[in-house]
Amino acid sequence: MNCQEFEACLHPYVDGELAVGETSAADVHAAECGRCADLARRERRFRQLLRRQPREAASAELRARLVSRIHRERRRAILRPWLVAPAIAAASAAIVVAVLISAWRSPSPLIGELIDKHIAYAQIERPAELASADPTEIEMWFRQRAGLRVTVPDYSPSGIRLVGARLAETHEQKAAYLFYEKGRTLLSVFMLPIPTGDVALAGARVSYRGHAYVTYEQKGYRTVSWSDGRAVFGLVSMLDYEALLECADRLRAERATQTRL
Amino acid sequence: MALVHLDALYHVALRLTRNRAEAEDVVQEALLRAFRNFRRFNPGTNCRAWLFTIMRNVFLNRVRREGREVLEGEGTLITAGVDSATAPEPAGNAEEEFFQTIVHGDVDRALQTLPLVFREAVILADLEGLSYREVADVLGCPVGTIMSRLSRGRHLLRQALSQFAREHGYLKDAE
Repeated sequence: MNCQEFEACLHPYVDGELAVGETSAADVHAAECGRCADLARRERRFRQLLRRQPREAASAELRARLVSRIHRERRRAILRPWLVAPAIAAASAAIVVAVLISAWRSPSPLIGELIDKHIAYAQIERPAELASADPTEIEMWFRQRAGLRVTVPDYSPSGIRLVGARLAETHEQKAAYLFYEKGRTLLSVFMLPIPTGDVALAGARVSYRGHAYVTYEQKGYRTVSWSDGRAVFGLVSMLDYEALLECADRLRAERATQTRL
Repeated sequence: MALVHLDALYHVALRLTRNRAEAEDVVQEALLRAFRNFRRFNPGTNCRAWLFTIMRNVFLNRVRREGREVLEGEGTLITAGVDSATAPEPAGNAEEEFFQTIVHGDVDRALQTLPLVFREAVILADLEGLSYREVADVLGCPVGTIMSRLSRGRHLLRQALSQFAREHGYLKDAE
């Protein structure tokens, strides 16, 4: 392959769209020609720039609206299949709905457990075992009580204040449970030392600031959960998804800084 | 299945319409259409590409109805915001500077200056990561056409970004 041929196939080469033989020929040429190697490097960098553009997730309202519209459509299709379309339409419609909403109907046992705990403690006047607004004190407390390395995020810039913590027994093991309040609304933050693969986080998958989360809503309680490979994190509250995802993102960021230290 | 692709559909809709409310409308209409026509979906084929195809049709219908923007031919030169004659692509060290001068929002702004025919190809391939074959399926044209649209679209995008860098005062005119 010469420079002219290389330039002609530069874009498919960088996009990984060339056949194996052509790719090898281009590799060989790039290894020998600095100028062409530089062209490919610049193209790759440009692709990276484009791929890393921020991606705004669809709003929870849009999701909810779609689920409700599809429910309505499904009822209509089932009620009038002989009028509007053959029975197969209703059958396929039912399949789509089942696939679309299955995530909403059944939370994983773990998420269900977190929601139940949140509801139970929200009824109690002072839910925390350790009432404290001091993140360092709470971190020390978890380390001494249960050997847990816990990150206690600061949500005060969003008007969410730390009120305390307790040790929770979740999924048959000790978990850290943090309590926050925004006005009179309780926010529960759970951290469970469970490696990925041991639990399935059922719900709707969303992407927020480039990270994947699972959301699930039950009786007005919203949850955002994720795993970082070593631990599972779950936020439960009546706060809206935007606030919860923001809190999740901050926790993830603070944890990343701590882990590096 | 379809809601798994909701975020991807929304990203593309947002970049095509440049407006959140309109993007939501387009996505909603597309997913409802997909739901009603699910029996036409061929299981085993690419669900995401199928949904993008439906959404693009919804978007184009709206555009045509409102007479806002048309799918210009490949030969069309960009007119809005970027004058290709005065915005050469950076080379050599300037290229390094070029990447360093791109500020938040520039890529979206630059995409908006692209004619729709190039913008949609670049969004699907470079921002959403679809293969040439998938983009060709969504846009209903041969892979060769997609390759030339991508090449032209990327060139125009770089020119627009260089021009913004010049406006920010980061890059000097190549004189």
